[in-house]
Amino acid sequence: MNQDDDIVKSIKLSSLWRLLRYALAYPRLLKEAAVLLLLATLGQVLGPVLVKIFIDDYITPGEYPIRELATLAFAYAVFYGLSAWAGYQNAMRFNEVAFSVVRTVRAQVFAAVMRKPLSYFDHRPTGSLVSRITNDTEAIKELFVQVMSTFVQNVTLIIAIFIAMAWLDLRLMLVCSIILPVVVTVMFFYQRMSSPRYHKARSVLSRINAILSESIQGMRIIQVLNQQKRFAGQFRGVSQELFNARMSNLRLDALMLRPLPDLLRTLMLAAVLLYFGTQSFTTVVEVGVIYAFVNYLSRITQPVVEMTQRLSLLQQAVVAGERVFGIIDEPGETQFATDQRITRGAVRFEQVGFSYDGEHPVLEDIDFSVAPGQFYAIVGHTGSGKSTLMSLLLRFYDPQQGRILLDDMPLADIDQRDLRAQVGVVLQDPFITVGTVRENITLGLDISEERIIEAARKAQLHDFVMSLPDGYDTKLGERGGNLSTGQRQLLSLARTLAREPRILILDEATANIDSHTEAVIQQALALLRGNTTILAIAHRLSTITSADSIIVLHQGHIMQQGSHQELLRIDGLYRHMYELQRQRALVEDAEIL
Amino acid sequence: MGLFFKLGWYFKAQWRRYAAAILMFIGVDVLEMSIPWITGRVIDHVLDQTLTQALLLRYVGIVVTIALAVYVMRFFWRVFLFYSSFNLAETMRQRIFAHMTLMAPQFFQQHRTGDLMARATNDISAVEMTAGEGVLSGIDGLVTGVLVIAIMTVLISWELTLIALLPFPFMAWYFVVLGDRLHKGFRDAQERFSDLNDRVQESVSGIRMIRAFGREAREDEEFLRIADRAAEANIRVAATDSLYDPAIFITVGSSFMLCVGMGAWLVEQDRLTLGQLTSFTMYLGFLIWPMFAYGWLLNIVERGSAAYKRIEQLLQAESPVADTGAITQIDSADISFEIESFTHHDGHKPVLKNIFVQVRGGETLGIVGPTGAGKTTLINVLQRYFDAPHCTVKIGGTQIQQLSLQALRSAVALVPQDPFLFTATIAENIALGKPDATREQIRAVAQLASIDKDILRFPAGYDTLVGERGITLSGGQKQRIAIARALLLDAPILILDDALSAVDVGTERSILAHLREVRVDRTTLVLCHRLSAVEYAQQIIVLNHGEIAERGTHRELMTRKGWYAQMIDYQKLEQAVESGR
Repeated sequence: MNQDDDIVKSIKLSSLWRLLRYALAYPRLLKEAAVLLLLATLGQVLGPVLVKIFIDDYITPGEYPIRELATLAFAYAVFYGLSAWAGYQNAMRFNEVAFSVVRTVRAQVFAAVMRKPLSYFDHRPTGSLVSRITNDTEAIKELFVQVMSTFVQNVTLIIAIFIAMAWLDLRLMLVCSIILPVVVTVMFFYQRMSSPRYHKARSVLSRINAILSESIQGMRIIQVLNQQKRFAGQFRGVSQELFNARMSNLRLDALMLRPLPDLLRTLMLAAVLLYFGTQSFTTVVEVGVIYAFVNYLSRITQPVVEMTQRLSLLQQAVVAGERVFGIIDEPGETQFATDQRITRGAVRFEQVGFSYDGEHPVLEDIDFSVAPGQFYAIVGHTGSGKSTLMSLLLRFYDPQQGRILLDDMPLADIDQRDLRAQVGVVLQDPFITVGTVRENITLGLDISEERIIEAARKAQLHDFVMSLPDGYDTKLGERGGNLSTGQRQLLSLARTLAREPRILILDEATANIDSHTEAVIQQALALLRGNTTILAIAHRLSTITSADSIIVLHQGHIMQQGSHQELLRIDGLYRHMYELQRQRALVEDAEIL
Repeated sequence: MGLFFKLGWYFKAQWRRYAAAILMFIGVDVLEMSIPWITGRVIDHVLDQTLTQALLLRYVGIVVTIALAVYVMRFFWRVFLFYSSFNLAETMRQRIFAHMTLMAPQFFQQHRTGDLMARATNDISAVEMTAGEGVLSGIDGLVTGVLVIAIMTVLISWELTLIALLPFPFMAWYFVVLGDRLHKGFRDAQERFSDLNDRVQESVSGIRMIRAFGREAREDEEFLRIADRAAEANIRVAATDSLYDPAIFITVGSSFMLCVGMGAWLVEQDRLTLGQLTSFTMYLGFLIWPMFAYGWLLNIVERGSAAYKRIEQLLQAESPVADTGAITQIDSADISFEIESFTHHDGHKPVLKNIFVQVRGGETLGIVGPTGAGKTTLINVLQRYFDAPHCTVKIGGTQIQQLSLQALRSAVALVPQDPFLFTATIAENIALGKPDATREQIRAVAQLASIDKDILRFPAGYDTLVGERGITLSGGQKQRIAIARALLLDAPILILDDALSAVDVGTERSILAHLREVRVDRTTLVLCHRLSAVEYAQQIIVLNHGEIAERGTHRELMTRKGWYAQMIDYQKLEQAVESGR
């Protein structure tokens, strides 16, 4: 929101040009649009000429040959019809170009965001990224729908009108052409003066919205502190400021934008009358020419006013374009294809160290290896670095020290697609997309029906799915609204199992679920043992008692390592954690009493 | 059109401005319409060769004068009319805000922030449109239409008028149809756009999952599908919008043709002059606006009415808690709870049961218990967030319902669970309840809340901006600022509602020690999960399912071996694990 208030003093021509270049990808549409535009403009300009011919050649002398008049009427009708049709078709071509461009820009910026390294998302609020992809591209759309078409159409029309005027009476056209520089000058100054006013009003408005939303959310505090009057007073002040800013805008508009070009036009009309009147004292004037000039004059000023009004849209579009290009141009995560494939599922961490900000180490000196088919667990308190460890394994981030090897190949050398396919993950918050159960399991991958069902069976979800009205084709609500938390987690597990990964990562997958679901997940893990390497981060220790080895992390270091039985025998962190969880269960029982 | 009656109060209050604006746009219409007539006269004089230098100059002079007069009046009617409509928006905005400050917290739970915001912004704009553009298109459109037709009929030729107007009703009808379609199209486009927003929101927040499953390309596809649907809706709007110009063009063109054809015949019959015909064609151009205005008016009023209804609803909402108390001063800081049973108005099970507690002024009461035990509800009853029947809560000897809300709120300083900081400097945030506090006073309470040192480390110290546009504070820093804010009030009663949860144990200990020092003779209620915060309380109650399960001092409760004692052991172990032991 804040960025929208930036006062734009001048627009960057390079960005405007880059935006406009997108339209060049549609040469056929643009050519058609140009031809149609010429047709439409021709019709608009020729109408008064035909009426002029009628007035001067037929009415004035009082002759009415039926055939010629019928031809004239027919020509008039054809021109008007053609012009209306061409005008509409032209607008539709422009629309098509506009929406195709916006589609391209949107697709580019969305794809760019989806491929940014994950660290990119650490410090960027979701809302602002969403706004880049939706609101900013919407602003760019206005450039094409509102600004570009208006400018092209109006400039063409004005030129055509002056050509027609010159053809009718060159001297009078020259007299009339005075109006153009005058109107353009007026509009230039209007634009100069209105731009800061306009931005001021916008920034006050966004301040009002901010205050409003903050006050609503903090109303309880305001009331508790008896500050209602003060806040209402503050709000009144800003609200008044908005009113004043809008009035100042309005006065400027009322002074310059609307009535001034009209004033100039009427004065021009007076000049035309004076010219013809004076001429009539010496020569015979054609009334039809007066008619045509009066008619043309009435059409000159409106296009200029329209263009002026759209200038602010132009500015916004260019600013939005710059922000969008900023995202598109920033490099994304490097995704390359190699022939390094994961076949066994061995995992090795070698002296791995990592820090998000380069200052505070989150992981230090992490060193362990997991043989294919083994089940390793990683436990630790909040902030111990266990989630970061998984992020490194998934290559969301690259470690600063040491390296991670899969099947003895450095992680960085492995084909990205293969990495995603062979390393499956079940996250704490299952991500359910809008779609059917099947779509949620396949996630767009080509997976056979048998594998889907087998995966669902392993996750003990099959019977439940079959009890749904449409089985695997049952639509799931937004964020899986019609499933329980446990079921969502099982679905997430089934999805991962359906991919038959060599390495399975459970990232706090049992943190928020009931003990039944936990048991199901444990059974599923038991089935996988020996075939799939399993790495589980668990807050709940009961999930991992059967692991081959448990790594206990504390503040980024490995404190202990061993099997559950081994670790329990030692009076250390693991045993204390285990006791803590047992006591927690006791305390929870006490609450129920 | 009922909306115009509903807004009657405002039109009455602003009748001078509205009357001036209306008179002026009538004046503008009349003057503008004399110009074609003058043009016609000049042409006739030219053709009859009766034009003289003086006559010509007079006509031209009149046109120039009219042009200037129209300019001036156009300026003023805009200012008058839109002043009134902007002012209406301003008035309603303030009313809504002032009204919201009277609503009890429950009201804000029932209404989403976005919904309230929409009423205070979009809905107000829609009503403002009715009072501005609505009046303009209704009255000016009508005046222009009537005037043009009258002039054409009376001054020029009724036969010609009849023929020339034939296509116009078609255009008016077409505008209504288009306006309706455009409006619906807009709504549809807006919905599609919000789908797009939702989709992007989901993708961006699910980015880890997308990466983990290598789903980027698939996401692109789905995004494009929804983006295309949004584009389709937009194209429909644009296509409808593009139909206006050809419609106007064809109507005016055919009307011109009819008018020139019929006019020629009338000229031939000597019932019309060429000048009159020229001015007549100029008048035709004036008729587009009234046709357009009619369709526009229907649209504006439809939107305005719906918006006004929503605003009225909001303004008529009554606060769940009525400010009926007359006593403005408490006589002591004693608190007594006599609660037989309390059930939320939409609930079935009682949230509080049989709670009888006396706290003497100056004492500290600790309120502990598992999540959902009713701790916060108990203090909400004390603060009258909602009215609780069968509950007698007294401060001093006075029932809280007999105190004015202002007095009750002045008596109680609260540090809530989720500290809310406003977009303002740290000093302003601390002085929120006492805006005239000096910097020394602010620093003094910041020191008590152990946040002074943190603040001095910020770039601009106490003048550092926080909130959405300022620096980001940690949860513990926010909590301590909220504590300083409450301490500055120096209220007889202080409530800490789990207000130290994000503060480390050492800092918590020093804050509590400070509190014991400065809050002699003042009552403190401490709600907490971490039990170390209530160790020194004169009285501790353990709530479970809304009832008092245990009560006593720390020492007494430790000997009972109940929930409290167990929890103390548990938290000790937890601390050991947290520090890696």
